[in-house]
Amino acid sequence: MSAVPAATPRPAAQMALRYSRHGERREIALAVPVGSVRRVELPDAEAKSSFITAVLKARCEADEELEIFGQPVRNLSAGARQRLRARVGALSPIIGLINNLNAWENISLPAAYHGKPSLAEVATITQEVLDVFGIDPRGFLVRVPDELGKLERKIAAFARLMIARPELAIIESLNDGLSRAECARVAGFEQEYRRRHPAGTLLFVDTREE
Amino acid sequence: MLRALREIEGGMKLSLNAAGRLGTLRKPPILESFLRQVYFTGVTASTGVVLRASFLGVLIIAITMDVLDADVDMAVKILLLVVFREVGPLAAAVVIILRSGTAMSAEMAMMRISGQTRALRYLGINLYDYLVVPRVAGVMVATLALTFYIQFLAVAGGLLLSPFIIEATFMELASRLFDLFTPVDFYYSIIKSLLFGFAVSACCCYHGLNPPDLTQNAVPKVVTRAVTQAAMLVLTINAVFAYIVFGILFFGLVTAKV
Repeated sequence: MSAVPAATPRPAAQMALRYSRHGERREIALAVPVGSVRRVELPDAEAKSSFITAVLKARCEADEELEIFGQPVRNLSAGARQRLRARVGALSPIIGLINNLNAWENISLPAAYHGKPSLAEVATITQEVLDVFGIDPRGFLVRVPDELGKLERKIAAFARLMIARPELAIIESLNDGLSRAECARVAGFEQEYRRRHPAGTLLFVDTREE
Repeated sequence: MLRALREIEGGMKLSLNAAGRLGTLRKPPILESFLRQVYFTGVTASTGVVLRASFLGVLIIAITMDVLDADVDMAVKILLLVVFREVGPLAAAVVIILRSGTAMSAEMAMMRISGQTRALRYLGINLYDYLVVPRVAGVMVATLALTFYIQFLAVAGGLLLSPFIIEATFMELASRLFDLFTPVDFYYSIIKSLLFGFAVSACCCYHGLNPPDLTQNAVPKVVTRAVTQAAMLVLTINAVFAYIVFGILFFGLVTAKV
């Protein structure tokens, strides 16, 4: 009698995000494995906004299903929801810059408020990010958002995102309002995120109409 | 009626939350925001009141002596009572409402409408900590400082300029002032101006964070409502405070006799 080795099932890839929305002509279903870089196109701005809001709040509506890092967000305790939120970050108009703070204050605000990372570390990361995109920090960091161009605002928000070190980063409408040359520059966001967080998950979200 | 009750409830909640979170002022960005508030509310407002406050003292002494035919003693007494107990804190509160109350409520309404308060929440920053506490604490400190400044200017202006229009010397007026001054006047104006600052800032923060709708049109409505209610609050506190201190403390409960 020969022993037949049992076929070991291939482990399913762990999902960073699983989202679905039901309803007539509103169907959306997407799954993003941990450590991947994905680009998704949602049908319209409303779908995009409700998706990003659901992920950032770690909370979903009755017609939605959402799992973040394998945890269904429905019926989560406040503490668990808070912990889950801390693992997610976004570069999105929903989390825009604060108008009465200059670029440096905007970038360092979350770290200064939460007390980590240290301001020295924030300064180093900011300097590195600005270097990658060829921006002189002296003129850039003292300006308020209204004095910054669209590209510069995105770079400031990206620096803030890099400091937060999210395990899942969502970048919404990256090329929105940018010229072709500027689009080529922000394409470097992916590489920079990968370099800093090799195991992180990056999700680009756009709408089909864009 | 329902809206008024809701506003009272919201205002109370905001005030209690702000009072309970004063410890967060130690955090660097909140401390910075607090100092910025003190600067904009107190320091920048102080330059505009120099002349007005100085002439206030002269007016009080001149009117008292001329119209009421009072002597130096009475004129200085009235100057002290009016400036320290009533006009000083009230004038500071009016300056604060007009300069900072309007700016604060408009700024917060704009932040709410443009989604910046939502952005702060997503960044894990508590709105009370970052927006309300430094403003409330900053306005309280600034109101107190501005009250002292106005009182000093009004008294000093009254003593320095009155000799030009009445028959009394500076030394005469000054010596009477030091004789008549009591610490009660000082504590009274401290407590009152801190209360005024708290009421004005809490009222303006509440309205700024709760605009009637999320359109640009809501901003002027917010400012009007905040300023009107802050002024009413200040007048009410002033009246209640005066009644409690002078009515009950000194004369017992005042009852009508038919």
